[in-house]
Amino acid sequence: MPESFDTLACDLARFQASASDGYARLCHARGVEPSALRNADDIPAVPTDAFKVARIATFPSTLTSKVFRTSGTTLGSRGENSLRDVSTYDAASIAFGRRWLARDVAGRLPVVVLGPSPESAPDSSLVHMCEAFVRTFGEPSTSASTYLVGDDAVIDLSAFDERVAFALSRNQPMLILGTSFAFVHFVDAIGKDSFALPRGSRVMQTGGYKGRSREVPANVLRADLARVFGVSVRAIVAEYGMTELASQFYERTLFEEDTPLGVYAEPPWARVVPVDPDTLEAVPAGEVGLAKIIDLMNVDSAVAVLTQDRVRRVGYGPSDRSETGQGSSEGFELLGRAPGAPARGCSIAIDELLGRATASPGA
Amino acid sequence: MNRTASERASDVKRLLRAARALVASSASIVPSLVASTGLSREGVELALARHLETEASDEDVRKLVERAGNASRVTVVLSSNVFVGALRAIALARAASADVVVRPSRRDPAFAQALVSAAVGAGDTHLRLVEDLDVSSVEHGEIHVYGRDETIARVRADARVNVRVCGHGSGLGVAWISAEARLSDAADSLAADIVAFDQRGCMSPRIALVHGGETRALEFAQALDHSLAHLGVTVPRGSVPREEQVAIRRYVATMTYACRAIEGEAHVIGLGPSGAPLLLPPPYRTLHVTSCASMGKAASLLSPFANGILVMGSDDAAAARRLAPSWARVCAVGSMQRPPFDGPVDLRTPSPL
Repeated sequence: MPESFDTLACDLARFQASASDGYARLCHARGVEPSALRNADDIPAVPTDAFKVARIATFPSTLTSKVFRTSGTTLGSRGENSLRDVSTYDAASIAFGRRWLARDVAGRLPVVVLGPSPESAPDSSLVHMCEAFVRTFGEPSTSASTYLVGDDAVIDLSAFDERVAFALSRNQPMLILGTSFAFVHFVDAIGKDSFALPRGSRVMQTGGYKGRSREVPANVLRADLARVFGVSVRAIVAEYGMTELASQFYERTLFEEDTPLGVYAEPPWARVVPVDPDTLEAVPAGEVGLAKIIDLMNVDSAVAVLTQDRVRRVGYGPSDRSETGQGSSEGFELLGRAPGAPARGCSIAIDELLGRATASPGA
Repeated sequence: MNRTASERASDVKRLLRAARALVASSASIVPSLVASTGLSREGVELALARHLETEASDEDVRKLVERAGNASRVTVVLSSNVFVGALRAIALARAASADVVVRPSRRDPAFAQALVSAAVGAGDTHLRLVEDLDVSSVEHGEIHVYGRDETIARVRADARVNVRVCGHGSGLGVAWISAEARLSDAADSLAADIVAFDQRGCMSPRIALVHGGETRALEFAQALDHSLAHLGVTVPRGSVPREEQVAIRRYVATMTYACRAIEGEAHVIGLGPSGAPLLLPPPYRTLHVTSCASMGKAASLLSPFANGILVMGSDDAAAARRLAPSWARVCAVGSMQRPPFDGPVDLRTPSPL
């Protein structure tokens, strides 16, 4: 019988406390004895801010094979996630990406990324994940006709046009990957025109805006993309991930007709627990809390990560927690970043420092 | 109406006299300031007694007038600045124009209301308060808006095209503790800067860089813990909004992982690993301390924050001048919250927003 999620998570927490002085201190400060952990929800979570000031890793830096960094903001530091080996990250990303983006595709399909190439953004986990999808799901193509945002941050619309025309001629569904701000620029660039994709095409949209485009409400952007690409709104699949995690979360809209928009599915190796910001305890079912994410793929960093994103479980209760997480109606809604306090001074607020980054920070 | 520099200075000095009179009879407004600012009674009294600049020198007033420019009318929009900031904001407006309109902060209107009332009582007939002013109704002149970046952007969007909007945004202070500094003295002085306004001012120190190794930084953090605890008895911290309490707990957890967090009754000091990137802590008496082996390393650590730094306090002014951005004020630790009354506290070029 396979070990349960809780057993694996607690084992990882014990390992990380034994290998990382910082995590051992955090456990001690929270009054948690790692050897006594039995429930994943009780694992002390490492705040995402810690990735900005400390190396969150259980192995010596000499063994680092890859470092992912958070995107830069107007002020402040960038977070870093060091990986000993990217194969776990890749395996998890590809498996769950396939499930919610391409499970119906037998062969390969044209994949286009409205983002920079891996060479231009070697430390972006989102670009790394997109590259893994291109490599795994995509039919052969050149980098220039796959990654359509150049070093000048301009989208190559003519290359996009060529890829779409070729796919249309072969009646091949396409997979388009991009960030919210890239899609806003795309929509702005083509105005009222459309860029109808072949039947069966789908779009993965991720990430916040971080001041890089005008901000568009999620439902408006979804409707705009559906109109521009000539696909159903359910073919616009939102992804939620972040540099500090090795797992991602997807809307189920493409393959489950009765799932509401805006509800994200978890892979069986990750769990999103809304917690009370004061007590850091799980909130009652249906209530809003900060997302504490337990990610079994974070083997060498932090098995539990505390974000500043507000979430609510949907169709979920402690008594019917699924061990597989697949095929059920469980999931969570993403409700945006936790608001800052009302300003009563002119000191820089954390939100201001972070450029008021919204939820869905991107992988 | 064209006024000479001398007439402008006289208008500013009349405002300062009104402020002095207000302080002399401040007992009546202290309760409302406590309620609106969230500071403790002692925190309000400290701000009035020590941080309200009522004794400006002639030379400082001359510089303030010189920096103020000239406008047919100045509309001052006070948003979320610390309450004593209203004096400097109105003084700058009064230096720039013979016609000044003040819209006080909705959340924290008491001091601006009292100051304008005192100034009018002292004979200033060209200064008036409009509580519900709509910036889109301002027909000419300048709008001086003080507040968060998003507030400034909103005013910019609403203002008429012929009205110049000068934004005074948020910022932070940084302390540089030199290798020669006596740590206990530096800690006492910096604690005074932190306690003022419960660290919510744009000059409030949020980060201290200690020249030396981790042991020295830890000694400084422990000395500061002692100083803040001592000062917290005489000037208790005021109320802390729930969101900021959450942010402080988050900061404590982060620094516990990263290196060390020292928690007092009403303050927190986070000790960062030597050479690690800096993390801006939340306000309300929370300071991030880290060691720096060299000034070059300090400059490198500060570079991501440079755009926000308005003041650098240090026991070594020359070193601080080299580290600070060109616009930042440089002063002794302990005087970071008492900038000369010689212009805006924020000397970044106010963008013609």
